[in-house]
Amino acid sequence: MLHIRGLVMGYGGEPVLSGCDLDVEAGEFVSLIGPSGSGKTSVLRAITGLTRPQHGTVDIDIAAHEIGYLFQDDALLPWRTTLENVALGLRIRGVTRGAAEDTAARWLARLGLERFGNRYPRQLSGGQRKRVAIAQVLALQPKLLLMDEPFSSLDAIVRMRITEELLEWVEREHLTVLLITHDLEEAISLSDVVYVLSQGPRATIRSKHAIEIARPRHVLDSRGDPRFGPLLRLLWSELS
Amino acid sequence: MKRLRVRRGLAIGLLLMAWESLSRVGWLDPFYLPPPSTVGAVLISLFADGAIWTHLAATCTAAFAGLAGGLLVGVMLGFAAALSPLVADLLEPVMILLNAVPRVILAPLFVIWLGIGLSSKVALALVLVAVLIFFAVYNGIKEVDRRLVERVLTLGGERRHLVREVYVPSVTAWVMGTLKVAVGFAFTGAVVGEFVASSRGLGYLLQFAQSSYNAGLTIALIVIIMAFVLVLFALAEWLERRLLRWRQG
Repeated sequence: MLHIRGLVMGYGGEPVLSGCDLDVEAGEFVSLIGPSGSGKTSVLRAITGLTRPQHGTVDIDIAAHEIGYLFQDDALLPWRTTLENVALGLRIRGVTRGAAEDTAARWLARLGLERFGNRYPRQLSGGQRKRVAIAQVLALQPKLLLMDEPFSSLDAIVRMRITEELLEWVEREHLTVLLITHDLEEAISLSDVVYVLSQGPRATIRSKHAIEIARPRHVLDSRGDPRFGPLLRLLWSELS
Repeated sequence: MKRLRVRRGLAIGLLLMAWESLSRVGWLDPFYLPPPSTVGAVLISLFADGAIWTHLAATCTAAFAGLAGGLLVGVMLGFAAALSPLVADLLEPVMILLNAVPRVILAPLFVIWLGIGLSSKVALALVLVAVLIFFAVYNGIKEVDRRLVERVLTLGGERRHLVREVYVPSVTAWVMGTLKVAVGFAFTGAVVGEFVASSRGLGYLLQFAQSSYNAGLTIALIVIIMAFVLVLFALAEWLERRLLRWRQG
């Protein structure tokens, strides 16, 4: 579904990322891990066209509007209500206000936020805002979901709960996922394939690991799998 | 809140009483500083014979027309400069210059160009407001939150979506923040314009009161202008609270 070859990313001066090859096949859950400053986010910026690569190619065999992007911070419009924020993507795609808000209300209900439709982002907790951001992206029914450390700002309990919820949606909607994270346990417990980036600048893909734990996964169960510990130690040694 | 109001009212009341008593015992010369009772009587007579209304109407018309025009011109130029580097290069030096000088020095020029009627006052108020609003809009757009821009882009948004969903709301917040200053500027423009050359308006009355050494009338007019601007401030504040509801936690 997504094929990246020889990607070089930089913002003037020395490239942050030099030489990244990465494949995501339909239905796969792929993670990209690496230390801070290894250009993890740059990969997503290249895929979504926010930043033009210095070199290399990004081939995607789905339309741009079938890609959903979950940011590191929730980036909700502060002047729009929760409902309007969730409806935003649909409105941009030309859906009428009424229809867009009906769909948005359904997604809010699915994520347990039906009572918060009229609140503004400032009136929500961090976890609630994150759920709104998830609803905003899922409401567009993407085929490929890009996630940039989406849960790093949440406390451990909320994080676990939201990850579990999202995993459910990934299975239910047969989503293909590319997750950027620096959390090794998260990467192993969720993914089919993990790519490891070296330290930047001029970071490259160091290795690629297939995670053979069966799906559907559960965040806690995967951690109890006998293959989890050795993989964790292997990835840790590669990162340090 | 209520206690604060009571205290403020009490402070003003005490000041007026002290002023009145000092006049009565002869410590203040009523020629220079007539007591509140005299000023009050002047105020009543101004409204009683109805002569004040044409002047009030003239000043308000000039101030509101200048405010509306200034908002319109400032918003349009601010948007144009923020979205087009060419326009920014052309406009920025002019605006910086206009911002640096006290813009009321343009008043005599507007009288020569537009005559002593309403239009020269509107023009002065407009220039005062437009420069202020221009910078609010221009800076507002330049400092817009990049994450929100990228959010709209990655949801498939185009330029028009960015303008509607991100730029206009951000700019509204900036403009609302300067609205109170703009109201003050609009009245400054109108009154100063009338002061320079006119046949009616509060500025004209002030000019007349000064030339006839009528301190009572001068103070009464100052009180009227202050009261008016305070009412408008309250209105602007109400509008700000309404439009920026999303800011409340």
